[in-house]
This record gives sequence, C-alpha cells and structure tokens, in this order.
Amino acid sequence: MYASTNAVEIRNLQKFYGQYHALRNINLSVKKGEKVVVCGPSGSGKSTMIRCINRLEEHNDGSINVLGTELSDDISNIDEIRREVGMVFQHFNLFPHMTVLENCTLAPMLVRKMPLAEAEALAMKFLEKVRIPHQADKFPGQLSGGQQQRVAIARALCMQPEVLLFDEPTSALDPEMIAEVLDVMTSLASEGMTMICVTHEMGFARKVADRVIFMDAGEVVEEGDPESFFTNPQNERTAAFLSQILSD
Amino acid sequence: MIMLRNQHTRKVVLQAVYVLVLLAILITGVFSAQANMAAQGLELSFSFLWKATGWDMTFSLLPTSSSDPYWWYLVSGVVNTLFLGIIGLAGATLVGGVVGFARISSNHGARLLGTVYVELFRNIPVIVQIFFWYALANHLPSPRRAIEFGGALISNRGIYMPGMNVEGLYIALFYFVLCAYFIGLIWFVSARRFRRVDPAKRRKVVWGLSICALAIETMLLYIGKPVGEVLITYPELKGLNVQGGYRIQTEVYTLAFAIAIYGGAYIGEIVRGGFNAVGRGQHEAARALGLSTWQEFSRIRLPLALRAMLPILTNQYVWLVKATTLGIVAGFSDFFMVIASSITHSGQTLEFIGILMGGFLVINFTISSVMNKINKAVALKGHQLRM
Amino acid sequence: MTTLISAQYKPTVWMKVQKNYFKNWRSALLSMMCFAVLGGIVWSIVDWGILNATFSSTARHTECYANGGACWSIIANRWRVILFGLYPYDEQWRSITACFIVVATIAFSCFPVFWTVRRLSLIWLVGAASFFVIMKGGVFGLSLVSEEQWGGLALTLFIFVGTVLIGMPLAIMLALLRNSKLPVISKVTGVIIDTVRSLPLISILFTFALVLPFMLPDMLVGEKLYRVIAASALFFAAYQAEIIRGGMQGVPKGQEEAAQALGLGYYQRITRIILPQAFKNALPAMINQFVTTFMETSLVTIVGFFELLASANAAYGTGEWNFAFVEVYFFVAAIYFAFVFALSRYGAFLERRMAN
Repeated sequence: MYASTNAVEIRNLQKFYGQYHALRNINLSVKKGEKVVVCGPSGSGKSTMIRCINRLEEHNDGSINVLGTELSDDISNIDEIRREVGMVFQHFNLFPHMTVLENCTLAPMLVRKMPLAEAEALAMKFLEKVRIPHQADKFPGQLSGGQQQRVAIARALCMQPEVLLFDEPTSALDPEMIAEVLDVMTSLASEGMTMICVTHEMGFARKVADRVIFMDAGEVVEEGDPESFFTNPQNERTAAFLSQILSD
Repeated sequence: MIMLRNQHTRKVVLQAVYVLVLLAILITGVFSAQANMAAQGLELSFSFLWKATGWDMTFSLLPTSSSDPYWWYLVSGVVNTLFLGIIGLAGATLVGGVVGFARISSNHGARLLGTVYVELFRNIPVIVQIFFWYALANHLPSPRRAIEFGGALISNRGIYMPGMNVEGLYIALFYFVLCAYFIGLIWFVSARRFRRVDPAKRRKVVWGLSICALAIETMLLYIGKPVGEVLITYPELKGLNVQGGYRIQTEVYTLAFAIAIYGGAYIGEIVRGGFNAVGRGQHEAARALGLSTWQEFSRIRLPLALRAMLPILTNQYVWLVKATTLGIVAGFSDFFMVIASSITHSGQTLEFIGILMGGFLVINFTISSVMNKINKAVALKGHQLRM
Repeated sequence: MTTLISAQYKPTVWMKVQKNYFKNWRSALLSMMCFAVLGGIVWSIVDWGILNATFSSTARHTECYANGGACWSIIANRWRVILFGLYPYDEQWRSITACFIVVATIAFSCFPVFWTVRRLSLIWLVGAASFFVIMKGGVFGLSLVSEEQWGGLALTLFIFVGTVLIGMPLAIMLALLRNSKLPVISKVTGVIIDTVRSLPLISILFTFALVLPFMLPDMLVGEKLYRVIAASALFFAAYQAEIIRGGMQGVPKGQEEAAQALGLGYYQRITRIILPQAFKNALPAMINQFVTTFMETSLVTIVGFFELLASANAAYGTGEWNFAFVEVYFFVAAIYFAFVFALSRYGAFLERRMAN
C-alpha cells in the first residue's frame, strides 16, 4: 500500500490541545534518505508535528506510518517505531548522572540487549564520528553546549535508527557553537541518513535539504526544493517569514 | 492479551484494577471487623455516642462527668487538643522567633547560643523531652513546701497563679475582648487599605480603640466580680493544700512547655531559613537608598522573610498540633486519649477510628486553609519567593 | 584585581573576633551576656555531672544527696536494663553485637560507593537478617530468645531498621503511583498519602497495634511487634513518598522524553533515568526524614514496647532510684543525640557538598 521507499508517511494529521487546534490536516511523506527541513514562526506546530512521529505527542486524528509500521494505540508498535526513530532535542536532554559513554551505551544495552563491550565499541565509533571521543568519560555538565549536542546526536545514532528527528538542535546554543553541530549534521546527511529537521538555520537548509517545508498556525503553508523556496516563495506568509529571518 | 497492548485499554484496566484491589482490602477489613464485633455482641452503628461513658476525664476545659455521653467527651477532647495546640503553637512561635533572630544575628555570640539551643532540642526525641519535664514537674516540692515565685506557688500538684476573682463566663469574655483588641490593632496598623489614612487620624483611631477596649474590660471585670470581694486573689497555703488563684495542672504546663521548647527549635530554623531566602540584592538596594539598619530590617527584610516562611510554617504548625497527642504519656485527655479510652471501654473500634481520622483531617485542613488564606493575602503578586 | 586585593588584605584572627563579637559596645555587651549564659550552663553541667557527682556503683540516695551532684550510680547499676531491657543476662553480648551490626549498616550506607539500589538493598537486607538471627537465635547453637524479651537500644534499632526496610520500597512505590499519568491512580494514592500524613503517628501505631487484629482475617494478624513496624513504615513511607515525588518533579521533563525517544520502557525510564536523579535532588530531605523516623521510634513505648525510652522509665521507676530520673534521661538523651546528631550532620555535609 505504501511505497517501500517512504520512511515517514503522515496523512490528514489533526492534533488538539483542548480547544486549541495545534495541527490542521498535515500531509507529509518523507522518502528513505531524504532530508527535510521544517521551518516556521514559533507556535506554528512544527515541533508538535515531529514529536507526533515518535509519539511524544499523541495525535487525535489521521494516520502516521513509519517504515511500514502504523503508529496507533498499540504499545508494541510504539516501541518498535521508537527503536527505529532517533531524536535530537533543543535542550540536549543528556542524562546528567551518567558519563558521555554511559549515555550512549544505555539504550543499545537496554533496548537492543547488546553486550557491554559491543555497545561501548559502537558508542566510541559514533563519538568519533561527532569528533568527541576524548570526552567519553566526562559528565555532560562538564561539556560546552555544542559538545553536549554532538553527544546527544551520537547517543541517538547508537540506536542505529533509520530516521533522525531534529527538534531545533541549535537554538539553545551560543552562536560560536552552532557551526560544529551543523557540520556534524551535514556529514550525517551526506551519508544518506533520513532526516527531518526543525530549524531556523537557513544556510543549512539551502545546503543540505532536499525539501523545505514552511508551517504556520498548524498547517503546511508551502513546500518545495530549497532553491525555489528561498528565491521564489509562492505564499505571502512564507515571504514575510523569510524576509524577517534573513534580514539579519 | 492482545487487548492489553492497546495503550488506552491498558490505562483503563490498570486504574480499575488498582481501585478494585484497594476496595477489596477495605471491604475485607470492614467485614471481618463486623464479624469480630458481632462475636462480642456489638454492632456497627453510632448510637453508642449518646450513651453515658462511665469514666472520668483527667483534665477538661469544659465541664464533664462520668454520666455525660460519648459525644460530649469527644467534643471536650477536641477542645483540650485545641487548647494545648494553641498554647503550644504560640509558645513555640515565640521561642522560635527569639532563637531564629539569634541565629541570624551579626553577633556571633548570639549565633552560637542559638545554634546550641537548636542542635540540643531538635536532636532529642520530643517524647523523651516530655517525659523529662513531666518527671521534673512531679519531683517539685509538695504544696506545703511550694516554691514561691512572684506571687505564684510552684509545687508538684501544679502551678498556682494569682487569679482574678471573676466568674468563668466573664473571664472568657475578658480574654476574648483582649484578643479582639490586639488583632484589630495589628490589622489597622498593618493593613494596606488603611495605609493612606492621615497620621493624625490614625493616632485618633488607635487611641479610641484602646479606650473603648479598656472601658469594656473594666466593665466586664466589675460585673463578673462577686459583690464585696477582692478582685485579685493570691494562692495561699491553707493546711495541706493551696487555696485561691488559678491552678495550672502539671500535665498541662509541662506539655505546653515541652511543645514550645521543642517546636521553638524547629521554628527557629524556619525563621533563619526565611531570612536567608531574602536575596542579598534587596539588602544592598535598601542600603543604597540610604535606609538605616532598622528601616532596612523592618521594611524590607522582615516582610520578605515572613512571606518566605509562611508555607513551611504551616506544615510545622500542623505537625505540632499532631504532637499534642503525645500528651497521652502525661495523662492529658486530648482528642486522641479520649478516643483510645473510649475504644477500650466501649469496644466500638471501627467507629472511633473513623472519628479519629475525621477529626484530625478537619483540624489539619482548617489550619492549612487558614494559613493558605494568610499566605495568599500577603503573597507577592506575580512573584514566587523560593526557599 | 580582586585576587590582588584579597592577597594584600588578610584579616587577622583578632580582627575577625572584633568584627563578629565586639563591633560596638552593644554587640560587646550581647556577646558577654551570651558567653555568660553558655559558660553558666556548661559550668553547672560540669559541676553537677562531674565535680560533685557520685560514680560509685554501691552508692544510694544518701551518699548522692550528700555529694550534691549527679548520681551516676544508677547508670552503673541499671545500664543493662536501659540498653537491653528484659533480654536474658547471659545472652546480652548478642544484643550488643546486634546493635553494632545496625550501626555498621547505617555507616556503610553513608558511603557513596554503595549508592546503587542493589548494593544498598543488599547491605540492609544482610544487616537486618544478621541482626535478626543474632537476636532471636535458635540456630547455630544460639538459644532462642523470643521477640517479647527484646528490649532497650536493640529493640529501638530493630524497629528503625524494620521501618526503613519496609518503608523505603513502599515510599518509592507510593511516589511512583502518586506521580502516575493515570489520573485515578494518582488521585487515589494522593488521598491515601494525605490521610496518613494528616494523622498523628501515635494514632496509626495504636490502630495497628490494638485495633487491626479486629479488622484482619486471623491468619494475617501476626506478631504485635511486626504490626507496629508496619505502622511505622506506613507513616514513614507517606512522608518519604512526598519527598521523593518532590525530587521527581525536579527532574526536567526532557529527561523522560529523551528516554522515551530512545525506546526505553516505563520500568527502564524509572529505574535508570528518573529515580537516580530524583534521589539526588531529594537526598538531604530524605536523610532528614530518616533522622525524624529514628527519633519517632521512641513512640512505640506508648503502645507497650520495652524499647530504649520505656526501659529508661523502668530503670528509675523503682522506689530506690526514684530520685535519679535526671541522670537516666540524661543518659538516654545522650544516646539518641549521638545517633541523631551524627546522621543530621552527615545530611548537612551532603547538602553542602551537593550545593557546589
């Protein structure tokens, strides 16, 4: 029924917070290996949408299908999807009582039942990928914001997910640290990872994204390839947003 | 089992199971209690509340006798608990205030004294302290060799205080008016709504209030005094016993004293915490504006510290009222002791346990809601002061 | 710049004393008064307790009265009653050993090395089990001493260990139920916790000791001592649960979300992510609760147990020693103080260490 090349398939998604209509009829399909950047003003529902994909938020209507598994009330389906979908948060959310290495090995050992040695080898491989292997025995509190976010990416990678979700990964960072995180994300993209990024980094979007999606007031207002999206926005809300964000 | 894999079904099932298990435990308890009581020829009902108790209370503010019904004993017990609670809380607050101020004093000698006090009385179980004070009070000399102290006689049968020779009802009214006067005065001086009243007018109102109160008090004493007798009587030794004045029973004052001393140590710590919670910036800003030490203390630090203390003080008060139940070790007939004796005498276990829980829930709820009202009234709008 | 200044300005001890004690004449007067009071108290205690005291174990009222000070003769004569209660005389070494086991158990759990669930439970279970075996006997050639004969300090410590051993898991369970996302479970648990917290401990002890036998089917009634421990544990758990819940609320929401996003299940999230951080947040308050609970074990004397306080009352209860109550309470208070002060100092130390 679904094209096997689709990693994430969202149809007619509706989400309410009480009376507030947070997501209005969202349709989105992301192919395997595709990089999608989601942008929009704050409160537009972009974070809510990607949090629906791994059930951090529960949707009210419509369907979400991840890698052929339907996201429903069935707990085993939810568990399966969470295993295959990694997430990187705005505030890193590293576990402060564990070392960097323990942060990375925790989920592979508990969820994938990997033996310790194997999990550590895997963790070191990904810590090297995010260029932070020498900090493995430190605690998150001893690292800078940029370093913490790179550890968080490594932690997500250790589950070897098919899809990675990024929820504003750079907006809590000091300006000088943004580049190091974006570099890691760019190199991930070049290796063919399926990525859905909520971000305001338009430079990154232009360079990496296959598709850019603009959301406002809970709806997808416009989507397109980065080139035409940035140079020739069709909708006036998109144009207004872009002029605000690109003016500085 | 497949059904349980559904998130929503699972939630409903879990909650239902939890409630059902608890209900099952409760019902089993009630049924076996009923069976046990039936075996003793008792039934589960509240009709016994109107039966005479047949035993005497050791201490009661309200008049009681062994022919009074159970419900009256319960009321007397609650009144005794409240009486001891109020005296104990007032004493503890007073002691705690002094200790707290000593602990934040700029003088390290006073600090040391405060620290010693707190560490000593907080780290010895309150029940040991009660036993000690009670034993001490019982080892005082007999009335015949009572210690005289400022007109009062201290002996192992209690403290005999000089008292006013006025009828009970008028004494009660006298204290009521006295309290009302002080509360009214404090309210008028500190309430925001009177802040803008002209100082000359304020002074007039204060004087007016005081004169009114004085007049009412004099009148009450005059009416209440038996004709042709002196107003104040001093305790005097007559034969083997003491006559005249008030007698404060040993258990009452030792308990009130123990609670005040013990609670004071805790409240002292709360007071200290409250002052420490006031940011250094507040102090610096006040001094930068040129306020004197006293002005800075009374206008800035004290009001902020009081607000920080209130929520924790509420918990402490509830806790201290619960501590009055330890009065049972000195034979003080508080609510709990009345319940305990009633159970042994009547066997109506389940009902009395229910009454006990209900009574304490009401008392605690009252204290917390009164304190919360005060807290809300004085809370800083749009701010949260953290301890 | 600041380091430069502070390097040059080093207040001498004398300057500090002057600033803190003799800033102006009022401060000086206050200091003198405080020291006079403190000195007076210390002196009168030394005077009473050492200089004029009677230590001879043969002395009685007349000799003590003549000396004017404390009569430690009563402790010399009655310390076994105070510490061991009715425990058989020849077996009292077992009671001492048992007390040391508890002290060691508490001391071990103060070292951060042992702060994992498995190690702590192991320490406490082994501690409680060996305490029980040594006290009760009946195995390894130890004669059987039933619980009714236990008393004094050993009984106090046993009640404390039992309370903690049952109360801690119960507290964690209650905290988790109270913090549950399922509204009915959370509310019902809240009502249970609040009810227990609003009742005085003595009323719960009383209910469990004397009333519960009425309400339970016969096979569940059990020994009175264990019912009282259960009551004490329930009370402890209700307070500790709220403290743990406070600690859980201090854990940022993102922690749980990150764990969910990694695919961790409920049990894994709770044990690996939430509880370790919650315990860390709540540690000072939790230790405080342990201290309070230790002091509150003395309440079981009201429902008729012969623990430390009750045996102290018995020690001076005879006509011969009736006058020497101050010495006995002094002795007992010193024992409680030693335990409580050490634990609460340790709590304060942890709080300071965690603050920076």
